[in-house]
Amino acid sequence: MRPSLARVYRIKSFTLIFQHKPSFVAANHHQRTPIYFSSLSSSCPNLQIRKPQTPLFLRAASYSATLPDLKKWHQWATSLASSVGSTLVDLDNGPDSTLLLRELNWLIQDSFQDHHNSFIPQLPTTEFTRTRVDSQVVKLRVGLDELYRLWRQRVEERRPFQYIVGCEHWRDLVLSVEDGVLVPRPETELIVDLVSNVLLKESNRGLRDGLWADLGTGSGALAIAIGRLLGKHGRVIATDLSPVAVAVATFNVQRYALQDVVDVRQGSWFEPLKDLEGKLGGIISNPPYIPSNHISGLQAEVGRHEPRLALDGGFNGMDDLLHICNGAASFLKPAGFFAFETNGLEQCKFLVDYMDRNIKGSICNVSIVSDFAGIPRFVTGFRQ
Amino acid sequence: MSSLIYKRLGAKSLLLSQNRRTQGHLVPFIFSSLSESHEYHGSIQNRLVLASGLSSFLHTTVESLSGSNPDHSNSSFYGTQSRHSLHADSKDGFCASGYFVSRRNISGFCSTLHPNVRSLTVSYQSVVTSRWFRLVGTQAAVEPSTSDELTMDRIVANQWTILDENENDWKSHAAAIAQSIQVIKRRLQWKKLMVRLDLLSVQLTKPDLWEDPVHAGKISREHGSLLCKMKEVKAFEQELLEHIDLIKLAREENDTELELQESLKALLRMRRDSKAKELEALLTGEQDSFSCYIEVQAGAGGTESMDWAAMVMQMYKSWAQRHGYGVIVVDEMPGEIAGIKRATIKVEGEYAFGYAKAEVGVHRLVRISPFDSGKRRHTSFAAVAVIPISGDGSTCVQINESDLRIERFRSGGAGGQHANTTDSAVRIVHIPTGVTATCQNERSQHQNKASAMAVLQSRVDQLEMARQAQMNAQHTQSLTDITWGSQIRSYVLHPYRMVKDLRTNYEVSNPDSVLEGDLDGFILSYLSSCLDRDEDD
Repeated sequence: MRPSLARVYRIKSFTLIFQHKPSFVAANHHQRTPIYFSSLSSSCPNLQIRKPQTPLFLRAASYSATLPDLKKWHQWATSLASSVGSTLVDLDNGPDSTLLLRELNWLIQDSFQDHHNSFIPQLPTTEFTRTRVDSQVVKLRVGLDELYRLWRQRVEERRPFQYIVGCEHWRDLVLSVEDGVLVPRPETELIVDLVSNVLLKESNRGLRDGLWADLGTGSGALAIAIGRLLGKHGRVIATDLSPVAVAVATFNVQRYALQDVVDVRQGSWFEPLKDLEGKLGGIISNPPYIPSNHISGLQAEVGRHEPRLALDGGFNGMDDLLHICNGAASFLKPAGFFAFETNGLEQCKFLVDYMDRNIKGSICNVSIVSDFAGIPRFVTGFRQ
Repeated sequence: MSSLIYKRLGAKSLLLSQNRRTQGHLVPFIFSSLSESHEYHGSIQNRLVLASGLSSFLHTTVESLSGSNPDHSNSSFYGTQSRHSLHADSKDGFCASGYFVSRRNISGFCSTLHPNVRSLTVSYQSVVTSRWFRLVGTQAAVEPSTSDELTMDRIVANQWTILDENENDWKSHAAAIAQSIQVIKRRLQWKKLMVRLDLLSVQLTKPDLWEDPVHAGKISREHGSLLCKMKEVKAFEQELLEHIDLIKLAREENDTELELQESLKALLRMRRDSKAKELEALLTGEQDSFSCYIEVQAGAGGTESMDWAAMVMQMYKSWAQRHGYGVIVVDEMPGEIAGIKRATIKVEGEYAFGYAKAEVGVHRLVRISPFDSGKRRHTSFAAVAVIPISGDGSTCVQINESDLRIERFRSGGAGGQHANTTDSAVRIVHIPTGVTATCQNERSQHQNKASAMAVLQSRVDQLEMARQAQMNAQHTQSLTDITWGSQIRSYVLHPYRMVKDLRTNYEVSNPDSVLEGDLDGFILSYLSSCLDRDEDD
């Protein structure tokens, strides 16, 4: 692991709204190219219109393979998954065989045209051996060679499953993801519930048709889910520094036909929102919060494959959280709501203390909310 | 409304077209029937397609007595929708129901009907149908009899010898059918059914009924369903009596032997059919038609019994698939070495619960363990639970969000950005009852939560129903049936090979076929033994 550049560039003062921050956009999982953005220039030198990858399940079934060949692949893939046992769990809290086998079923689900008719994943090998004619040809969305390659990548290279199939099921959404974009986490789903609860309250009616911001949107998960909660006039601005994330989020927004509701803008945190100070009804964010010195010890799927830009939160992981927190005080309109995801109890407390000391007058009703694993995960509150 | 044209090949009959209103006074009896043309030989068959104003389709084959005098065949056929009814041993055959009415008889009318009625338990939805039934209901007060006043009870009382089906003796057929009808009535709890029907009829006439639409809907659904069952049995009785009349008449008038044979054939069909009806009468419980969850839990004994639990689960998956049910794995906890600790599947389809409920209890396996290097004989246990998924929201217990504790299942480590995992399993605990549910097979936490919530709702509902049933003496017996502890079936693979149900003593000597999902024999024998025992009380 290379030394953290983030640490070198760490900003000491929390009051700076626009900070210089080195960032990494992983072109692929083997090499990372650092890209530096100037916070003052509004246009990004690297900005180009990228075409995001199409998730496996949306591709045309233009490949095919015979059933015996697929069976052979399935047996190989099953035994590869089984050979893992619980070694990866012990190593770095990675997947065990059971989980990998479940993922294998999902890979089949996504890559077979009629998976339920031909290759029912729930049935044991004997069942489809018996009931299927060997000469039968199965339509695939990806070549058989590619299936071998993908599964090897999954198990041997620990490439995240979501990158293998190009999508992540998140809440009731299926979001396109690819290398360079953080895979939205199950924990983050809860932010949507938190917002939903706020919107349901009669006193917060105005927020339903207000302007919301999702900072560091990644795949666009939060922006899309909240865009679907808002009223007729509600809008979400989703920002991200990474051009890959912007492209993918834009694609996902279009897939859910929310172009008129969610506006994806490239830039660092509040930078693309310059003219909106004091006007936002809500701010949500899942910013990078992993302390830099934890990066090297991360689970291989995360450390080796996911974009560091979306993970590394500086020395104690608080750089971006504090930055966003300060920004929230000035960008939220009175009674505006915020919810941020953190690394756990320590960061939650830190954030609450920080707000208490520095922006006490402008923030109220601050609370810490735990995720389903019981870890204090979110800090929420309102602008006074 | 539906009108139809019936053209007879034999040119003896006339064309008949009727609408419902005119039929209203013409027709004393209505039979819902189903025809299977391939069973009829030597008869003239006409295919007839009918599209009624209700946009229901009937495609059926009308059979008429060949060589009969013209009076016999002035028939009208009135059809309603075709429907699919599920039966344990039936292939997905085409079923149609219709009312077949023909004019001729001592009483002025006679009916010939196609007896393969398989829909005792399916409620009619057509408005026309239920209206028809009500019409009949008012006329059915007099006990039906033949021209020489032979009633159902008298047929049974005559104690005619029941011979083999192949013996072409009408008395034997009639006695067998009458006996079946008795069984069916017993299974339907006939007297209670009549009382209940009267009660519901009274309630339906109350002017303020629809002020509570949910309740009213329930009442009217139950009424329709019971009425339908009652009519079907009565129609079947009537049919029997008419065939007896026909046979007697044929003898008196020295009709051709052929005609007698036709009636005998019809009786034989009825006799075979009555067996199927007996089975259908088994699934008349309120929840029988629902989908269900089937849960299998490994007993003590480690890998050996976890492997057995997996075999049992597989048996149910195959069974469900054979019946065309949808199968979804909701929750599965694999064993460390082999098999499963427990698993829950959702079985979707009509009557899934009605059949699967017969499987509740402990299943025992005796075999040489493949996991024992010493090749010793092992006994393993797996427990099976079956929970109905109520179709309408009306029976649901209201679960408050605040009574729930939702936990990430099998979580470890810091979570959040630290972990990239596709495992988003959740466990939901309903604090007041302690009922829990887990789901890990969905691809998002949100979906896992929704799925677990559905399981939890069903479990809490079941608990509530059990509680209510406890207060109702009638159900005390069935309540003890669903408790876990009881061992219901033994699967022996060594030293001999046999599967035996300990409740019914039903047994088969081929365990493989049973483990591949051939469970119907066990299920039906249990269901029939259950209901027949109930009636003795």
